[in-house]
Amino acid sequence: MNRKTSLPLLFLIPPLVVLAILAFVPTIAAVNIALQNRELSFPNSSYVWFANFIDLFNDRRFLNAIRISLIWEVVTVTATMLVAILLAIFLYETASLRMRNLVTVLFIIPVMLPRVSAAFVWKFMFNPLFGLINYPIKLLTGAPVDFLSLPSTALASVAIVDVWQWGLFFSVIILKLLETLPPQPFEAARLDNARTWEVHFYIGIPMLAAPLLSLVFVKMVESLRAFDLIYVMTRGGPGIATETLDMYAFSQGFVEAGKISYASSMAVLMMFATIIAFTVLWKWVRKWQ
Amino acid sequence: MAVKSKSVASKIVLTALVLVAIFPIFWVFLNSFKQLVDIVSTTPKFIFTPTLDNYIYVLGRDNVQHGLFNSIIIAGLSVLIGAVLGIPAAYAVARYPNRFSDDIQFFVLSLRFLPPVAVAIPLIAIWLDLGLYDTRTALVITYTLLTMSTIIWLAIPAFSRVPREIEEAAIVDGYGPYAVFFKVALPVAAKSLIGAVIFSFILVWNEFLIALMLTTSDAKTLPIIASEFTLLGRNVPWGILNASVIVLSLPPLIFVGVMSGFINSALKKKD
Repeated sequence: MNRKTSLPLLFLIPPLVVLAILAFVPTIAAVNIALQNRELSFPNSSYVWFANFIDLFNDRRFLNAIRISLIWEVVTVTATMLVAILLAIFLYETASLRMRNLVTVLFIIPVMLPRVSAAFVWKFMFNPLFGLINYPIKLLTGAPVDFLSLPSTALASVAIVDVWQWGLFFSVIILKLLETLPPQPFEAARLDNARTWEVHFYIGIPMLAAPLLSLVFVKMVESLRAFDLIYVMTRGGPGIATETLDMYAFSQGFVEAGKISYASSMAVLMMFATIIAFTVLWKWVRKWQ
Repeated sequence: MAVKSKSVASKIVLTALVLVAIFPIFWVFLNSFKQLVDIVSTTPKFIFTPTLDNYIYVLGRDNVQHGLFNSIIIAGLSVLIGAVLGIPAAYAVARYPNRFSDDIQFFVLSLRFLPPVAVAIPLIAIWLDLGLYDTRTALVITYTLLTMSTIIWLAIPAFSRVPREIEEAAIVDGYGPYAVFFKVALPVAAKSLIGAVIFSFILVWNEFLIALMLTTSDAKTLPIIASEFTLLGRNVPWGILNASVIVLSLPPLIFVGVMSGFINSALKKKD
């Protein structure tokens, strides 16, 4: 297939040019706007250079948002992977082939829901008046718990929705990966009287290290897209207990103030942080494959 | 006996897991057919007189119809453009590797690293300056970044899985490179490619943050409209809200079977 042909050029150049324009125009504009003092309600703006960034680091609400975003990232990635691995092993060990096929369809339903729908589904579940989760609590204690309005439970409650979507989905993928492994090492370990969890912990999981790392990576990228869940379920509240960086940038740039330059400077910091972190991580993950 | 009780226990756990996975959605589905009194009851109601009022109200509203229309047009067009540009690009990367192939793949992937808010905020300013803010055109163009990069990323392995021998046989038969693509590679990879295209459709259909920031009235998509039902009047219209969640979720859920097949073929045992 190495004959001289125009195909690769014709097939690659136009899409790549379009992609580059679509990607670089907004990102360069983001940096440009971040260096100004543009506000949505005023037409005039001028360059203030790094003033927005200096303000950011004196902004306690911004520092809080960084903290919440980091907690969200660590909690959802860890919980998703734990749930997914344990579920996959459980399904692998106990479910019949027919059951597995059924489960692999049912378990991807949550992740396919629009995030807005998933958020509403669980907002109803947590509802203190008639939420299903609160019926047993009301029976036991007499009073409902408003999970989404308590600073101590709000973030965890939203995280449950994220893990519900992604943990179940990843368990299907890990189950499929377990099924592709050669059976011999498992059988050998069983002959040596290894317990089920030992077989998986010492043989199955290490054999899947590379794809599992890729899944961790995918989840880290996807966890950054938690905005929809938080917007619908808590709007960043109570107070600022669930206000992640994108939520704060949204409210600064759009809702409360229209300070689009200030919001953009936040977005620029996020962009640099994620691009650098994910590029390094990706190269590292690739080395394992 | 021990084995039997163990298998019973595991069946119970398995059933519980399936319930956790789908019961919350099923409950919303049930509630969408209830009158408000049946939703706000002191004990959960499984038996009730179903009503279609919630759906009639939701589907009868102008803003829902408009949002549905917007979502279909915007998702449809951006997926179409993404597929027309993305699928050939993926084929070129898969079959004509050059020294930039790795960089191209990484560039396409890295677009997914961009926080959506970092794209949306500058685009507010750009579309405002161009006079295209709150238009379907602006959203289609913005979403094309999403659909095209997703389709390229998923279509590369789809083309790599096409057995080389088939394409080489076609060349021997006198097919030119373009004929090989259109008449051999495209039909053989079609099933996986459809999976990739549908996946990108679901992504765009479900997208919320960018649509929220780039629309104020005319170009609002269905997720934005659905999220606004909580703001109706003083009493929260729970039945209507449930029905709107179901309406919004149906298009992606139609494709559950296709997506499951797509995952299966992507993770199949390599012989």
